[in-house]
Amino acid sequence: MCVGVPMKVVEINYPMAVAEAKGVRRNISIMLLPEDEVKVGDYVIVHVGNAIEIIDEKDAEEIWKVLDEVMAILDEEEG
Amino acid sequence: MKERVEKLIKAIHEITPKDRKIKIMNVCGSHEHTITHSGMRSLMPENVELVPGPGCPVCVCSESDIINAINLSKRDDTILVTYGDMLRVPTQIGSIRSNGRNYKMVSAPHEVLKIAKENSDKNVVFFSIGFETTTAPTAALIETGLPENVTILTSQKLTPEIMEILVKDSEVGVDAFVAPGHVSAIVGANAWKVFPEKYGIPTVVAGFEPENLLLAIFRILLQIKEGIAELENVYRGVVKPEGNRKAQELMYKYFEKTDVNWRGIGYIPESGLEFRKEYDHINAKKVFNLPEIEEKKVPGCICDRIVLGKAYPDECKLFGTACTPRDPKGPCMVSMEGACNIWYRFGTR
Ligand code: SF4
Repeated sequence: MCVGVPMKVVEINYPMAVAEAKGVRRNISIMLLPEDEVKVGDYVIVHVGNAIEIIDEKDAEEIWKVLDEVMAILDEEEG
Repeated sequence: MKERVEKLIKAIHEITPKDRKIKIMNVCGSHEHTITHSGMRSLMPENVELVPGPGCPVCVCSESDIINAINLSKRDDTILVTYGDMLRVPTQIGSIRSNGRNYKMVSAPHEVLKIAKENSDKNVVFFSIGFETTTAPTAALIETGLPENVTILTSQKLTPEIMEILVKDSEVGVDAFVAPGHVSAIVGANAWKVFPEKYGIPTVVAGFEPENLLLAIFRILLQIKEGIAELENVYRGVVKPEGNRKAQELMYKYFEKTDVNWRGIGYIPESGLEFRKEYDHINAKKVFNLPEIEEKKVPGCICDRIVLGKAYPDECKLFGTACTPRDPKGPCMVSMEGACNIWYRFGTR
């Protein structure tokens, strides 16, 4: 629940947006970011469906590296 | 990357003062995950202890709030909505899943809107639990506009406040903090300033990559070696000194600081957020006149001590035997952020 996931904003309809990560699109809320600050193409950290901060692409990639490991472990458990 | 990690570990060994025990606490399930998964504990100098603290919102959610949630879900006219992890948290009357009736799981607060629309003849109660990273999204949901049939049952806790309690507790004896990256994105790195300035405790804000976490530990040990205490931030790409102003504004628009009940620990002054008076009409505790239910300890469970950094999961007699992620007896075994769950999954410290 407390795990933040980096996603790329692909569509904005403030205060909602569509964001993408790993080929999966999700409706997210961008209400926690000022309307004039977030743009299509930005990377954001998403917590429980809400963008909480805009980050660099490089930081997004770093965070995904760790998350990929976590996901792999969880998949193993489910299987 | 491997080379940099090796260098950092070597440097950590070189600079660590060896004349005393050094206890470094993390307060984030994701940090504990990285530490355990990467086997970081075994790479530390012998006198450096990495302890998990209260980084798991599910683990500290008051039993009374969960029981109220279970009871709400039993009403014919009501649907209880909450995060998946909360469904399995054990209480004296079972869990939402084992003993509740009308409940639905969401992974984001705004999903409540759809449920409310599809069930316009029912009361929809959103059970909002967590630290700042989930409280701000709940505030965002309210700001978007709640449908008439939605109320919110809050069990929201504040991270810096519990850490201050830990500092004052001499049994814990924390020497330094690794501050949580994403909570800090909301509250700001400056929220931790009180620890170095008032209590002389080195504090470094860190992200979740092993290398970033090692860097934070290195910076902490360097401070200890030099006998100073400062606030540092090694997760600058994500965490600003002042944090997310808009998120803070929204949180404090609807909620105010108040004493809240931490499971197994009790009421801690000003350690959580509850609705302001003006919002009684969307506050499920008021609307449904919910009682405070006396907590009953889970026999044998030492989750409360683990959350406070006073014990490790493998000191619990039930750990891995009677209590497993499939059949959790205590709250620390339920979610991916609970120390017992993490230790069980990796079978290691
Ligand atoms: S192993 Fe289970 S019973 Fe023991 S402390 Fe952890 S959650 Fe509680």
